[in-house]
Amino acid sequence: MSNEHTVKSYEEELQFLKDSLINMGSLTESQLTDSMDAIIKVDKDSIDKIIKSDEKINKFRSKIDSQIMNLLVKRAPMAIDLRETISSLKISQDLERIGDLSKSNAKKVKPLPLDLPDELLGNLKRLGELVIKQLNDVLDSYVNKNYNKAKDVWEKDEQVDDLTYIAMESVIDFLSKDKKNLDFSTHLIFATKNLERAGDHVTNIAETVCYLIKGEYLKGSRPKGKVVQDN
Amino acid sequence: MNNIKIKSKNLNVYYGEKQALYDVNLDLNEKEVTALIGPSGCGKSTFIRCINRMNDVIDICKVTGNIEMDGIEINDKDLDVVSLRERVGMVFQKPNPFPKSIYDNVSYGPKIHGKGESKNELDEIVEHSLKKAALWEEVKDRLEEPGTSLSGGQQQRLCIARAISVNPEVILMDEPCSALDPIATAKIEELIDELKKTYTIVIVTHSMAQAVRVSQKTGFFHLGKLIEVGKTEKIFKNPDNKMTQDYITGRFG
Repeated sequence: MSNEHTVKSYEEELQFLKDSLINMGSLTESQLTDSMDAIIKVDKDSIDKIIKSDEKINKFRSKIDSQIMNLLVKRAPMAIDLRETISSLKISQDLERIGDLSKSNAKKVKPLPLDLPDELLGNLKRLGELVIKQLNDVLDSYVNKNYNKAKDVWEKDEQVDDLTYIAMESVIDFLSKDKKNLDFSTHLIFATKNLERAGDHVTNIAETVCYLIKGEYLKGSRPKGKVVQDN
Repeated sequence: MNNIKIKSKNLNVYYGEKQALYDVNLDLNEKEVTALIGPSGCGKSTFIRCINRMNDVIDICKVTGNIEMDGIEINDKDLDVVSLRERVGMVFQKPNPFPKSIYDNVSYGPKIHGKGESKNELDEIVEHSLKKAALWEEVKDRLEEPGTSLSGGQQQRLCIARAISVNPEVILMDEPCSALDPIATAKIEELIDELKKTYTIVIVTHSMAQAVRVSQKTGFFHLGKLIEVGKTEKIFKNPDNKMTQDYITGRFG
């Protein structure tokens, strides 16, 4: 790693920014995990808590915005510092969106019946676990400035797409058996799509981390799985 | 990519025992702005002073290696230094107008280089140069007033007009804005943008932001060595050398 800045307060401001982003990341990860648990366990009691934690994530986003504005105005960052600052802005936007999607998924728990069959939720659960793992890995790659790990996350988005497709199929399959299932099945379809979108934001973060580390964008188009190709 | 106007090959400069430049290999492209950055005493001013042989005036200074303009060796003993300096103008850190009128400041160069034989021709050169230096509108009604009566920023533009008046090919600027306020600085930067259409410009600056704004190519010097040179955008976003990165991000210890 580089030497420290001659101006200590500059060093501290950059460190505060990184700390804020890491805290925001871990909060987003817990919220995503909680919303996934809520769906799988049809746990209606946790909905409010998840919605509240989204407010905290949004506050982090505002705080990070103002830290970035201050850094740009006061320090006119260059090179790695500039990339660190701009990357924080982009990553915080993606984290906030993941937070919104988790909140949206938590709200979808409300109309679900308590006796959902396991075969319906199994694929959704696998998708959720993969997206949570992806988020965890990408945050880890950010903290440790691990380029290869970020690139792995980027490449694994294909699996997220494939699992989304499979999860969608099982919901549609269930729906086609009995039209009474229409109402809550629609919610599950949206929840599945939300997870896929959260996966896309994780991929965005992976791209940003790669740029942050090497100063150049990943070449080539994103690996795309079945669900995206079909669209 | 523009043609190479100036090319240095293994350029070394010594002030007596002390070596100020070590094997500098640097190409300056025609009609482009090259910024030279680096901490004080790193050799950037020494480098530009090689381009118009300003180092000649220092007795103990010795230059080895090559520095060419349009393929002709600048350091050649037989080169006519007066005509070299006609082709390579210079603007310094502090505005230094002659203690003469605005008009005389600009017409002095053409006169001694035997240009502008009639008053009309001289008038034209003065007007053209002041217009190119974006000063004409401000001084056209007071050309007989002393150059030193102008504001700092105007004086610096007068010095640029003086440099332009002999129709040079290259303009060297050694921290041209360090004594100016932000508005005067902005005017000089705007002017540099305009001048690069006609001239090859080399600017030494301590302001990173200025280097980014005005130049297309940036060279970073440290302890007499050219550490890294490349497209300005690349140098300030993602330099290859750790020392460059440490310098531009303020981590130099």
